[in-house]
Amino acid sequence: MKDKINTKHGYPGLLVVIEGTDGSGKTTQINLLKSWIEKQCYGVIVSEWKSSELIASVIDTAKERNLLNANTFSLMYASDFAHRLENTIIPALKSGFVVLLDRYTYTAFARDVVRGVKPKWVRKLYDFAPEPDLVFYLEQPVDVLLKRIIASKGLDYYESGRDIGLSTDFYESFKIYQSKILDEYDQMKEKHHFITLDGTQPIENVQEKMRDEVAKLLAKGSLS
Amino acid sequence: MRLNKEHNLPGTLICVEGIDGSGKSTQLSILKDWLISLGQDVIFTEWNSSNLICQTTKQAKKKNMLSPRTFSLLHAVDFADRLGQIIVPAMKAGFIVLADRYAYTAFARDVARNVDPQWVRNMYGFAIQPDLAVYFKVPVEVSLERICSNRQPKFYEAGMDMKLSPDPYVSYKIFQGRVINEYDKMRDEFGLVKIDATESIHQQQLKFRELVKDVLLKKGIELNEG
Repeated sequence: MKDKINTKHGYPGLLVVIEGTDGSGKTTQINLLKSWIEKQCYGVIVSEWKSSELIASVIDTAKERNLLNANTFSLMYASDFAHRLENTIIPALKSGFVVLLDRYTYTAFARDVVRGVKPKWVRKLYDFAPEPDLVFYLEQPVDVLLKRIIASKGLDYYESGRDIGLSTDFYESFKIYQSKILDEYDQMKEKHHFITLDGTQPIENVQEKMRDEVAKLLAKGSLS
Repeated sequence: MRLNKEHNLPGTLICVEGIDGSGKSTQLSILKDWLISLGQDVIFTEWNSSNLICQTTKQAKKKNMLSPRTFSLLHAVDFADRLGQIIVPAMKAGFIVLADRYAYTAFARDVARNVDPQWVRNMYGFAIQPDLAVYFKVPVEVSLERICSNRQPKFYEAGMDMKLSPDPYVSYKIFQGRVINEYDKMRDEFGLVKIDATESIHQQQLKFRELVKDVLLKKGIELNEG
């Protein structure tokens, strides 16, 4: 059995990550991808950033009260991630599921560094995370992101980086903050083998590219 | 501010360490009253007490739902929050900050749970280096006698999550023995000052006060004991 395992993390399942800023269209893509993989008769689970029963609601409350400093912010998300990793992600990988993750450690590397924590510190903090088999990065230019966000849920306090005092103007703050996040993602592209997807393309085109990549991995047969 | 670098804040940070039942909280409490009686501005903070997270941690402990990793992370959240909300502002304002347990507690307990020593040390790298860290050393049998005179050792305190023994008393001895080993290793690494916690409360407090007086004197604070 063991020689059949050719995943990067050594578990039989597949770990597929989608990264991108808020409003980049990740959730839409992940839902489409999930249905498609299920149609191919594979088991799929989705796990979203900040969704653990342990601490997700505490993070929401703390954010509402605007109480978090950068290290606390970072550590809370790491706690959430560790709990999901141990209780959801790794058990599913061991059982041979395709695990689709809406955001992964790269989100923390981008956000936390923009909030002023040391890049090395946050990378060491997450060094227990297994390497994904695929990382999709859904890239959107900041002006497109702005329009998408304003047209949907509106500008959020943290997603605009208001907590770090970039600008008192909400719109300006969002623009500066998201540009900084995009810069961080840019720097990670090569090192972490991101498959960059142009988010300005039609949904179907983006989805097709994702399916092609996943299909290649499924064809390797470790889950058959 | 770094844990491995002297701070240059006006305040003075004093912390006590040791396993449960070492008497460190008693010693800190007597010290606190004494400092206040001498007119010093004192702030006290203890491990796992931040409003943000300590209830979550307590609930999760009750349900035995924490792994060594999440146990470690939640305590770091608590610490980071108290550092930002209480310790740093108080240090900037020139208080004497008394901390019942500090990052060294995590280094001892988490590593006793097989968490990587470098990982947990990195995690607390943003902490302020204490001006004085006192380690109240007590044999594990004495600690067990003191805290379990009328109850069983608790799940995590006995390290039951490590499956060292099905008997909580046996598990406690093995696990806390490991914690003591980690503390011993840290005396050189972080300059923890040992006080023999089997001595009388009075003897320990006399020694503790001498240490504190020296540290405060270095900061230019002379205690007027009249």
